[in-house]
Amino acid sequence: MYSGIVAMALMAVFAVVFLYALHRLTAVAASPVEVLPAQSGWMPQEHALSRFHVRWYMASIVFLAFDVEMLFMYPWAVIVIERGLSAVVEMFLFLGALLVAVVWAWREGAFRWA
Amino acid sequence: MPETVLTTVPAGWAALAGIVLCTLAFFAAALDSALSARAEGAGRGGWLAPAWSTARLLRQRRRTVVAADTLLLRVGAAGMLVGSFLMVAVIPLGRWTLADLDVGVVWFNTVDVMVWALVWLAGWGANSVHGLVGGYRFLAHGLAYELPLMFALVAPAIAAGSLRVGDAAGAQDRLWFVVWMPVAFVIFLVGVTGFSVWGPFAAALGADVAGGVLAELSGVDRLVMQAGRYAFLAAGAAFSVPLFLGGGAGPFLPEWAWVAVKTVAVLAVLVWLRRKLPVFRPDRFLEIGWVVLLPAAVAQDLVVSLVVVWKG
Amino acid sequence: MGLTDALAGLALRATRVLVVEAPGQWPTRVVLEEKMLRRGWRPAWTPGDADVLAVCGVPGPELAQLVERLWEQMPGPRVRAAVTSPTAVTSALNEAAALLLDTPAHRTDARERAQKPQIPAVMDHGGHGEMGNHGMDHSGMNHGGHGGMDHSSHGGMDHGDTDQPLSGDEDHQNMDHSGTDHGGHGGMDHSSHGGMDMAPEGIPLAQGGEDRDGLGVDVLHLPLGPVLPFWPAGLVLHCSLQGDVVIDADAAVVDGGSHGVGIRSRHSGLVPAAAVRCDNLVALLALVGTQDLAARARSARDALLRGDRAGPQRAVERLHRVVRRSIILRWSLRGVLPLTPADLERHSLPDRCLGDAYDRLLSLVERVRAEVNGANPGAPVGTERVPWDVVPHLVTGLEIGTVRLAVASLDLDPFPAVHEVGHA
Repeated sequence: MYSGIVAMALMAVFAVVFLYALHRLTAVAASPVEVLPAQSGWMPQEHALSRFHVRWYMASIVFLAFDVEMLFMYPWAVIVIERGLSAVVEMFLFLGALLVAVVWAWREGAFRWA
Repeated sequence: MPETVLTTVPAGWAALAGIVLCTLAFFAAALDSALSARAEGAGRGGWLAPAWSTARLLRQRRRTVVAADTLLLRVGAAGMLVGSFLMVAVIPLGRWTLADLDVGVVWFNTVDVMVWALVWLAGWGANSVHGLVGGYRFLAHGLAYELPLMFALVAPAIAAGSLRVGDAAGAQDRLWFVVWMPVAFVIFLVGVTGFSVWGPFAAALGADVAGGVLAELSGVDRLVMQAGRYAFLAAGAAFSVPLFLGGGAGPFLPEWAWVAVKTVAVLAVLVWLRRKLPVFRPDRFLEIGWVVLLPAAVAQDLVVSLVVVWKG
Repeated sequence: MGLTDALAGLALRATRVLVVEAPGQWPTRVVLEEKMLRRGWRPAWTPGDADVLAVCGVPGPELAQLVERLWEQMPGPRVRAAVTSPTAVTSALNEAAALLLDTPAHRTDARERAQKPQIPAVMDHGGHGEMGNHGMDHSGMNHGGHGGMDHSSHGGMDHGDTDQPLSGDEDHQNMDHSGTDHGGHGGMDHSSHGGMDMAPEGIPLAQGGEDRDGLGVDVLHLPLGPVLPFWPAGLVLHCSLQGDVVIDADAAVVDGGSHGVGIRSRHSGLVPAAAVRCDNLVALLALVGTQDLAARARSARDALLRGDRAGPQRAVERLHRVVRRSIILRWSLRGVLPLTPADLERHSLPDRCLGDAYDRLLSLVERVRAEVNGANPGAPVGTERVPWDVVPHLVTGLEIGTVRLAVASLDLDPFPAVHEVGHA
């Protein structure tokens, strides 16, 4: 069952390796040149790798809550037909509760930056 | 429950699948160049321009920024191409498929979430402010499009009663899902554009951050990342066919040909849209994603499940 | 060798050019862009993507140094093109094309060029740890007072003997900062910039500063300009970023603005004001990401410069219609740098800057339309100009993409043109 996926992965790796090998032959030089980061020609004052201020961290927490919910959603999708209305009611009550949380987060400004 | 009529082909056919994917990706790039050349009145650079760009990048030297995390950078750039290959493994071409996973839809979802890591790694690894800002911009976009995309993926699965891609295609013999779940279809396409870092979702590569994640890439590094984006766009378009557009269903032509025709049509629309739409600013789109797209996708799922239960 | 040559020939058709516009070289740059497009060559946004480094005009000492660094950042095959005037464009491009094909020369260049960038031995003096300090020994000097973010001390400190003329900060004296309050950043601690262990490869690590919520977040310094896509030539905005938010900015003109050449002096006749406006329209639309609209504005600009009238009229008319009706364009630009009449007065900005970026876009399109239709000769370039030194006050606190949109929406005039054409 998974042999197809493994084969595709191998194909992809082959494609990447082929391109890199081809590049070694066709490029004006095989080795990379080391350069300064693009800053309009100015010297960088520090390394860019740093603690980055993500201003959407509130949104990412709400996202996590919902993302975990997807764990239930996929198996649920398979049994809706089997279980009928009760499954629908249960799931959408749950989703409704989550959406209320989203509305609350929205009103708190979690999805607005700046 | 519909019967699975798919034939799983031997793994050796992966070579053909790879070639088809690359051809589709090239078509997307070629169409984009042709549209650009026409709009800009360029004297040269139509359908063959991607071939020239490939030649240019193969000739160009690679570069690394001082103290860059080259491993992460290259994983991010090459990962885009690898990811798109993994995605098409579960897409049936008419009657044949490489991997008939019983969780094919979840597999698609898994691979598209991988893009979060890849784009961010490519941005972070470069040790450049533009790349860093670009990488984080992509995550912000992801927060907005990913959940609606997941709920949109669930809609066909509910209707088919299965997470198998072939079952979804088979469940549409009377009516294509796109007809009665158009919201899910549109949100799915928004998601495809999103994980391909394409058009409105290309803020991570924006002109305002001098190319963002791509700012420091040159040579083959740039080539694999760009090729990966086009390949993801093609893979996403191809996935919409079994999920929403009836798979191989259609008159006269064989099934595989219909899959190809539909894929090319969806892909062409996605490519065309790039030049028409502004880049969605991540800070503004976050609100749209949560307040408009997410409730719309959930409502679509509700409608679909009610219809399914009612028809019993 | 046949295969290599064939590859080079194919690659040539997709050439990307990093365009450097020395102040005053607006006409050269515009002609260059048009001629590039005719060959199918596209502008590169960063040196990493560029094959050709095209320098419009003769750069002053500061810009020349930046150009030198950009050249060092190009991956190769790389070619330099000096485009001294609009009439020299074609020959410069032809020459660049010929040089690009010379694969053996590029292989030699790749072998013989510096394989690593030159980084001054000591870079640990905060905000001044850059340009112009080469060859000077700062190791024993106490630069603690510079404090990275703290520019408030410019007035009282004597920089004359430590900064060479190349330093970007030198230009601050040309700008009016007397009213700026940078005091809020006084709390940053840069005293730890001492040892080399904090500076892998000779570049210091980012230092923390408190953000507006009191969180400790690293501060990065990113100069915007002078070589940046869709950016007013010559303008440099030294930004301090926390995440993608500009928490502090200083404006300068490259080479102190003293090196520019008038827009007319090398060009016969007046550059039509509508063409300059159109070019600013291209920048704003391209930054918003609406590619087709930007392309339309660009072809209108080129047609105007050729002296065409009917074509631009149609194009601008259509542009006007689309811009007015597009909901999604409005959604992108609404609320970007809103300016009230009181703001205009405080920053001595012209009336056309009223409202947000969408209002200014509309006003820009309408002014181009009026000028193209000849209904109203319009204000000549240079009158009602937006002073550059006001830009930092306007953009502090904005996210970097918003900063770009805000600056583009202000419809700045090309630098020295202001004086030359305005009084013509």
